[in-house]
Parts: sequence; C-alpha cells; structure tokens
Amino acid sequence: MIEETPRQHYTDTQKDSIFHGEFMPHINSMYNFAYRLTMDSDDAKDLLQDTYLKAYRFIDSFQQGTNAKAWLFRILKNSFINDYRKKSKEPSKVDYQEVESFYNSEEVDRQITPDLRVEALQDMIGDEISDALNSLDVDFKTVIILADLEEFKYDEMAKILDIPIGTVRSRLHRARNLLKEKLGEYAKKMGYNKSA
Amino acid sequence: MSNLDQSHMKKENCANQQECMQMLQSILDGEATSEQKEHFLKHHLEECMPCYKNYHLELKIRELLKTKCTGGCPSELANTIKNQINNER
Repeated sequence: MIEETPRQHYTDTQKDSIFHGEFMPHINSMYNFAYRLTMDSDDAKDLLQDTYLKAYRFIDSFQQGTNAKAWLFRILKNSFINDYRKKSKEPSKVDYQEVESFYNSEEVDRQITPDLRVEALQDMIGDEISDALNSLDVDFKTVIILADLEEFKYDEMAKILDIPIGTVRSRLHRARNLLKEKLGEYAKKMGYNKSA
Repeated sequence: MSNLDQSHMKKENCANQQECMQMLQSILDGEATSEQKEHFLKHHLEECMPCYKNYHLELKIRELLKTKCTGGCPSELANTIKNQINNER
C-alpha cells in the first residue's frame, strides 16, 4: 500500500508528534478531497477516519522529512478506490481506459477553446464552479483537485495516483478542457454567447 | 504584462494553439523552465490574442477553484479522529 521506504521505528512520543504535527494540519484538504470523491458527507467522514487510522497504523512506513501531505493523499485515494468506489452513488461507471482513449481522440482537442470568457466567470458567484468540478468523472476531478486546489507538482501527483508523469500531464489537460466545457455551458445559460 | 490597449496589435489566430495550451498549463503548474516562461509570457503573449485570452481565462479558473472549491473539515470530525488515535494506543 505504501512507498518502499525503509521502515522506521518511532517511539510513541514520536508517533504522536508526527501525527499531530504533520498529519493533522492537512485535515481540511483531506476532508475536501474525501468529500469530492464520495459526494456524500457520511461517506467522506468514514473515508477520512479510515485514512487517518491507516496513517497512524502504518506510521512506521512514513519517513519524516518527506511529504506528509502527498503520503496522506495517496492513502486516501487508495482507500477510496478499494472501499468506496464500488458502492459510490456516482452515475458514471465507465471504465477509465475507455474514457481516456475517448478523450485522447482528436475530436476533443479540436474544440478546445470553448466560448468561455473571463467576464462570464466573474459572474459565477454561486456554486457553478464547484458543480462543474463535481460533475467530472472521478479521475478527471481528482487531477484538478490535486493540481489546482492542492498545488501538488506533477511528480507528486504521479506518486499519489500510481501513474506516469506523462499520463498526469495529459489527464490534467483533458480534465481542464472538460471543466471549461462545463463552465461554457453554464455561461451560455447565463446569457453569454459566442458572438458577444 | 501587456495591457488591453495593445490588443489590436496582437495576432488573431495562433498557429500552435495546442502546444501553447500545454505550455501555458506547464507554466501555471510551476513545471516550466524560466526560459520557457520568459519566452511565453514576455514574448508570445504580447503578440498572440488567443493565447493572451487563454492565459487570463486559465488564471481566473484557478482563482475560482481555489476560492470556491475548498472547504474545511467539521471540527467535530477532527476531534473524533484525534480521540480514535488516542484509543489506538
């Protein structure tokens, strides 16, 4: 489950200090990630508790001085895949490979500049952006959360997601196009149109 | 950076839009080299309208994501987790 780092032998005091000093400070980001993955506050709560419990139990696999936030995000993402994804209420049950090959097709690239303008975005003062993010397939939503909300670097994302950096880059690119497409739809509903 | 008064001097079409979009994202993701940044932000954006617009669009989307899509963990849940860990020992 966790990186092949040399196993540490922390004392109870050290464990507590790592847990409270390095793990707990990320709880807000972790909760947000859990909530957006599960889209259910009870599931998010369970997922977060499971993740922190695992982090504590496997704390000897965490090397102090390395990126605690990336380590925690990886545990959360793996727990989600193993325990929650199956029972998730999400409508999209499409196999990711299928989705990725579809979105890698040229069709999508051709329509990359949606008729979206900064002015329209400025008027999105409600939940539009959050709804647009939530509407994305979970793999696309995940890369946007990691890159744009949490500001992980590509190499950190590759480790969290167990995919090559090239895939991180292309998935992020597709995800952003899809997000813009969605935002473009909202903009249209708000009365912004192409020729404006 | 450039200002809107200069916009009439910019090209209306970008010959490498796809590559430019990738470069733009690398820059905003902090993954580009300083030469790439220098070239793109200081030179290309000055002369290319679609890229100039995309740049500002991308910035705005990131800003919206950061302000509208982050939220805190309920404090009750944070306390439950701390207690759970104390019981673990």
